[in-house]
Amino acid sequence: MDVRIVQKAFDPQAEIAAFTAGRDDVGALVSFVGTCRAANAGSVVDELRIDHYPGFSEKEILRLAEDVSRRFNCPDLLVVHRVGAIRPGEAIVLVAALSTHRSDAFEVVRMLMDYLKTDAPLWKKESGPGGARWIEPRAEDYARRMEAEKG
Amino acid sequence: MVRLVFLGKFSEVAPASLAQIALPGDVRTLKDLKDWVARQQPLLGAAMEATRTRLIVNQCVIHDLSQAIADGDEVAFLPPMSGG
Repeated sequence: MDVRIVQKAFDPQAEIAAFTAGRDDVGALVSFVGTCRAANAGSVVDELRIDHYPGFSEKEILRLAEDVSRRFNCPDLLVVHRVGAIRPGEAIVLVAALSTHRSDAFEVVRMLMDYLKTDAPLWKKESGPGGARWIEPRAEDYARRMEAEKG
Repeated sequence: MVRLVFLGKFSEVAPASLAQIALPGDVRTLKDLKDWVARQQPLLGAAMEATRTRLIVNQCVIHDLSQAIADGDEVAFLPPMSGG
């Protein structure tokens, strides 16, 4: 399992290529890449800033990743989460799961993303011509998290 | 001394003077500390009141605000989190 918080822009395709190199023991790879949008809720976004709590954020994201991977057949999992100042078009998060068959890999990625939305110790601030605002989980994010917990 | 860490939107209203404090004599528990911070900095107190605030002590999640704090502790104040 490889879980990292990175300060600089990263290349999701290169990360996935390194993660899957030589893996002939698995039959499925599912990956999700979340990117910074140039507009959110009708407002132009110039920059997204993500703060973290060094040490604690890494530990908690690793705990969430281990929790989710234990529930499924998931021999390996990759999580790369960006922090700092992020420009539109740049990757924010990459989650990639390997599994014998596709269903486990899909479930791991979906559930971990639901967890990260509400439980990862990260704080997002969006800024643009209209000002700046902190982003908090939406009601639907909490609802998805609850569903994931039940499932 | 106790180190205080304010994250996310709390970091914008917390003065640098709160980063390291001598524990006041009447502050024994986490709840005492949270109330003391709110009295010192009403803006920060209002921000914490307006949202769900979690406390982390020495990088461990705390579920009970009656827990005692000790000299040398690091206490972090976390507003709602959002990754992904």
